[in-house]
Amino acid sequence: MTTLLGWLAGLGLVAGLVMGFGVAPREVTQGNVQRIMYLHVPAVWVAYLTFTVGFAASIAYLAGRRPGADRLAHAACEVGTVFLGVNIATGAIWGKPTWGTWWTWDARLTSVAVVFVMFLAYLLLRGAIEDRERGARYGAVLSIVAALNIPLVHFSVYWWRTLHQPPSLLKPGSSTMPRVILTALLVNFAAQALLGAYFVARRARLLAAEEEAIA
Amino acid sequence: MPDNWTFVAAAYGLAALVFGGYWLRLGRIDRELAAVRTER
Repeated sequence: MTTLLGWLAGLGLVAGLVMGFGVAPREVTQGNVQRIMYLHVPAVWVAYLTFTVGFAASIAYLAGRRPGADRLAHAACEVGTVFLGVNIATGAIWGKPTWGTWWTWDARLTSVAVVFVMFLAYLLLRGAIEDRERGARYGAVLSIVAALNIPLVHFSVYWWRTLHQPPSLLKPGSSTMPRVILTALLVNFAAQALLGAYFVARRARLLAAEEEAIA
Repeated sequence: MPDNWTFVAAAYGLAALVFGGYWLRLGRIDRELAAVRTER
């Protein structure tokens, strides 16, 4: 199953590149630099998804103390951090030619940086505590607190004046985005979601093997 | 607005490095655990 997910993710990524570079047209206002959006936007959606999985698995772990729930939470938070890192880095690369700056401390960028640092702290915590049960318990609490910040990130563009634009898709009402650009974005999201699912499944399996090797 | 292909290449190159690096890391852990299992 994991191998199949890996192959599907690989095929999806190729399809995403074809859509982003071959099918989607050059954007009129931004030029070709807009093609970074086919990478940047799906990466944050996958990060949101994996952190939500981590959030639910952490609650399940605290409720039932099942090691499988902890492994899923650990894997999901690690993979979400990778995707959020890609989102932040590609956003900075897009920001330089478009906004004229790599970074600005506006509400969206600051709140997303806070969430990223919180999940980095989660990974450090999991690596630092040797006692598995204690690490799982502390990690579950931290991942829940960190994931609760995601709505703050999403709505920050409405609640404060920001340089970052409001959401183009995850908003009430229909999208004004041209269909071809929307399709390219959704194909890239599907590809990155498959990649994220593959990474989470493989990492969770490795965490189980690590526990077996230590026992 | 100019096309800024260098920025596009940098973004996609960086993402390939990060995702590829993470994939390689999972492969390395897998090999290390397989070696431990073989030793046992």
